Amino acid sequence: MSVTASVPVDHRRDEPPEHLTRADRVGLLRHMLLMRAVEERAMTLYRQGKVPGSFYDGHGQEAVSVGPAWAMAAADRLCVLHRDLGAHLVRGVQPATILAQYMGRAAGVTRGRDGNVHFGDHRTGCVGMVSMLPDMMLVATGLAMAFKLRGQQRCALTWFGDGSSSRGDFHEALNWAGVQRLPVVFVLENNQWAYSTPTRLQFAVDPVERAAVYGFPGVVVDGNDVEAMFEAMRIARRRAVAGEGPTLIEAMTMRMHGHAAHDDQRYVPADQLAAWRERDPIDRQAARVAALGVDVDTLRAEVTAQVDEAAREALASPMPDPADATDGVFATEEVAMGDGAAPWSGWSR
Amino acid sequence: MSTLTYLQAISDGLRTEMRDDDRVFVMGQDVGAFGGAFKVTDGFLDEFGADRVMDTPLAESGIVGTAVGAAVAGLRPVCEMQFADFVACGFDQLVNVAGKMHYRQGLSVNITVRLPSGGGFSGGPFHSQNPEAWFMHAPGLKVVAPSTPEDAKGLLTTAIRDPNPVVFCEHKNLYRRVKGEVPAGEHATPFTARVAREGDDLVVIAYGAMVHTALEATEDLDGARVMVLDLRSLVPLDEEAILAAVHRCSKVVVVDEANQTCAAGAQVAALIAQRAFEDLDGPVVRVATPDVPIPFSPPLEQAVLPDVERVREACRELLAY
Amino acid sequence: MSSSRTETGVVDVVMPQLGVSVVEGTVVEWRKAVGDRVETDEIVVEVSTDKIDTEIPAPAAGVVSELLVGAGETVAVGMPLARIEAGDALTDDGVPAEGQPPASGGDDAGAEATGNGAGRRLSPVVQRIAADHAIDLSEVEGTGRDGRIRKQDVLAHVETAQAPLHTESPFRPESVPKPESAPVGGTLSRMRRTIGEHMKRSLETAATCTTWIEVDMSRVERERAALGLTALPLVARATIDALREHPQLNAWLEDERHTVHDDVHLGIAVSLDEDGLIVPVVRDAHDLSPEGLGRRIRDLARRARAGELTADEVRGATFTLTNPGQYGALMATPVISQPQVAILDIEAIIKRPVVVAGPDGEDAIAIRPMCVLGLSWDHRALDGVLAARFLSAVRRRLEGGPS
Repeated sequence: MSVTASVPVDHRRDEPPEHLTRADRVGLLRHMLLMRAVEERAMTLYRQGKVPGSFYDGHGQEAVSVGPAWAMAAADRLCVLHRDLGAHLVRGVQPATILAQYMGRAAGVTRGRDGNVHFGDHRTGCVGMVSMLPDMMLVATGLAMAFKLRGQQRCALTWFGDGSSSRGDFHEALNWAGVQRLPVVFVLENNQWAYSTPTRLQFAVDPVERAAVYGFPGVVVDGNDVEAMFEAMRIARRRAVAGEGPTLIEAMTMRMHGHAAHDDQRYVPADQLAAWRERDPIDRQAARVAALGVDVDTLRAEVTAQVDEAAREALASPMPDPADATDGVFATEEVAMGDGAAPWSGWSR
Repeated sequence: MSTLTYLQAISDGLRTEMRDDDRVFVMGQDVGAFGGAFKVTDGFLDEFGADRVMDTPLAESGIVGTAVGAAVAGLRPVCEMQFADFVACGFDQLVNVAGKMHYRQGLSVNITVRLPSGGGFSGGPFHSQNPEAWFMHAPGLKVVAPSTPEDAKGLLTTAIRDPNPVVFCEHKNLYRRVKGEVPAGEHATPFTARVAREGDDLVVIAYGAMVHTALEATEDLDGARVMVLDLRSLVPLDEEAILAAVHRCSKVVVVDEANQTCAAGAQVAALIAQRAFEDLDGPVVRVATPDVPIPFSPPLEQAVLPDVERVREACRELLAY
Repeated sequence: MSSSRTETGVVDVVMPQLGVSVVEGTVVEWRKAVGDRVETDEIVVEVSTDKIDTEIPAPAAGVVSELLVGAGETVAVGMPLARIEAGDALTDDGVPAEGQPPASGGDDAGAEATGNGAGRRLSPVVQRIAADHAIDLSEVEGTGRDGRIRKQDVLAHVETAQAPLHTESPFRPESVPKPESAPVGGTLSRMRRTIGEHMKRSLETAATCTTWIEVDMSRVERERAALGLTALPLVARATIDALREHPQLNAWLEDERHTVHDDVHLGIAVSLDEDGLIVPVVRDAHDLSPEGLGRRIRDLARRARAGELTADEVRGATFTLTNPGQYGALMATPVISQPQVAILDIEAIIKRPVVVAGPDGEDAIAIRPMCVLGLSWDHRALDGVLAARFLSAVRRRLEGGPS
């Protein structure tokens, strides 16, 4: 596949990244571990009948959400999709709240009004997704438009999949952002499959090529390299806040589990899965971090303990009160979004 | 107070809010340099600049979707669909993203979507619709439809200030045909119904252009004293005003310019049947456009849109019942 | 069959008086025997007197059951000669008796097409108004399609019906004695005596004067029709407003102590027919709309007649209204209920020709529903001018002042 890039993306595995401290690199691993642990735990709960509806995860795609989220400032805004749980964790949503959300408890982010990863805690600067996935691309574009109208040094980020790139909203968003040169970054998670539809039935041209057609750069990045994802986002964000317009980042990755828990993805060739398993993002980052002398096992154990505790808390929390079912259709007053956590060391330098 | 056309009143309301609150901005196709397809925003570009009078790409989904983003970022976008009919292209963003956001996420979405609606001038199937029922049916959206210049300004002002998505149905056939006294300066009207004419023998319930049709049809109807109730707000629906009118008059004719099936009038009729049954002295009668796309040629269009004669006949028959 | 008599049971054949001076007769020959069927007017026996021999016809159809006098025997005039078991129940010849009720059948369906109510298709509001005012819908003429009873038809009936919900004046210009009234030389009931004592005391204590005013009730008629009420609640509301304007009439005078009240607790005189009169009180009447007053008055009247009022509900009135209803009486001189200083009487609403301003400003005659309001007032507490002003204020509101 060809790569169109006005900004070179070049990472050699053995060179330490310029903008990431040791703590950052450990942090990136920790958040990926947390994402995987939460999702594995949720899958178990699902199989135990404690998670109503369906269950989706981003197993094997952890770098795609954690990396770019790490590069975002507190005042930036994120439109997070269903395989991007890592972003919520980076922004500061607690694992117990997420598990309560999956289980439809009152303590979940949406208080039982929407399910699984259909949430966005607006207090952390995230906007919750809708099932019509690429709709959020326009919302992110609108957020960026507001930043530009206000002259603010802020960036909007939205994730979407290979399937989403076929819908009209994808094109309207890219076109709009290109015409108005907006500070928005579009992260295309190309995980090779849209449910059972492989990418060769989804587009005739690699979607990264489309960016140029809308007037801005598109870059292809190894979606399973969290530090590469971070760096790509860091550069794109810098472009954006400098008024240079949007970027399309195509993250190449693989959907390791089925479309949802109800899908065993038998249509995916076993050798494809095997090849991508070798490139697991957590394994790769763990190797880097271990090479720095960090005890990864302890880290794993900490994360496991954290998720165990979160599960206990979530399981003990009550279901929502049916009497509230019709409340809150309309707002009685304006609700403002809040800023999220921004753990990257670059903000304090 | 000044005498303005319905269209001038909308401009006036929009301009007043934009002067008063710099978070308010207009976005839509041809609204800036051109002043809007119907000239609602004529002169706005000079006064407020391109940032606040935004000429957007031709993308209804884009207009509504980016408006949602701008609204959650703290601005107050007023979107213009060039014709109400085209809102269908932005239906998903309006119903699924804007409408459901607060219920699910607790995040308010303060957008106003202006829909130049209605027919009667050979606009044909794609320039004549009254699509409000689609949005009455979507939880989380408010829907208003003024019939007078004063209310056009007043309801628009309230819509812009309301923290919820509001669909503002402005009837384009009233733009220049209807004039009235409009308060100067700040003027906000609550989302309630209005008694356009008092009466007690029968009440005609209508909104938008049909209010004028109803008033004309029942002005001099065999000495009968006919009330005309202008709904003004479809979501929220002023149930109290409707039930009080039925209690007083006992005979009801509900008029819709929209296509009959599941139009706003159907909801009004159902409400009356359930909650005002004991006040009724006759069946609840509906006069509406049949379920056809609005035709282009004048004899065809006139045959389907409710006119003064049809409304008058329906009232006459019900009065005699 | 010429006779239309239908008799059953035993019928006597008697010796007739066949001449002024005839006192007895003799049976000559029996023409029928016991068990014989005999039709009316058929000859039963031949008798003979001093003067004449005669054939006696049977007085009824039936079967001869007894022969009481033998041939050759003599009996006095009027004595029974034979007995007939009358009626055709004993016959089996199937001749129908006359006068039997026609066969009833399911022909009600055919009768529905015309007449009242068009098959009794009564709309919900018609039923509700009829129930509220205890109206018999079979008495209401329908002016709707196919003779359907419309809302305005039953409302018009409300106005003219002698519905028991109307209240009555404590003073009748003419009493109507009922056949079952107290026996001649009896005593009045306890309640009647109590009322009488109160009335007498009032007239002896207060300097009672009465002032009248005529009111054009056109607007009231229109409004009460639209609201489904009688005129009384509307008059009550106008009275309350006028009392607010002239609070001197909303007062108590107890010996020397004179109290003018802000709140209006309105007494409404309710007739208990023969049992007398009671005045329940609408407390805080000033807070109620005409509809609210109508509801409250109806409820109090109903409970008054059922004997369900509590002591608190008949105390504390600051002003009283009395309304005899539509008997056609023109005016009255009501008696003030102590310790109040005034009482307002509303008589019949009668259409009369009145002088109005014509279309060109000239005087013209119009037909209007007119009513006389009579205010009795205590001259110890106020003067005729104030009484007249108060009445004028009530009229102004009823005729079309602000409601």
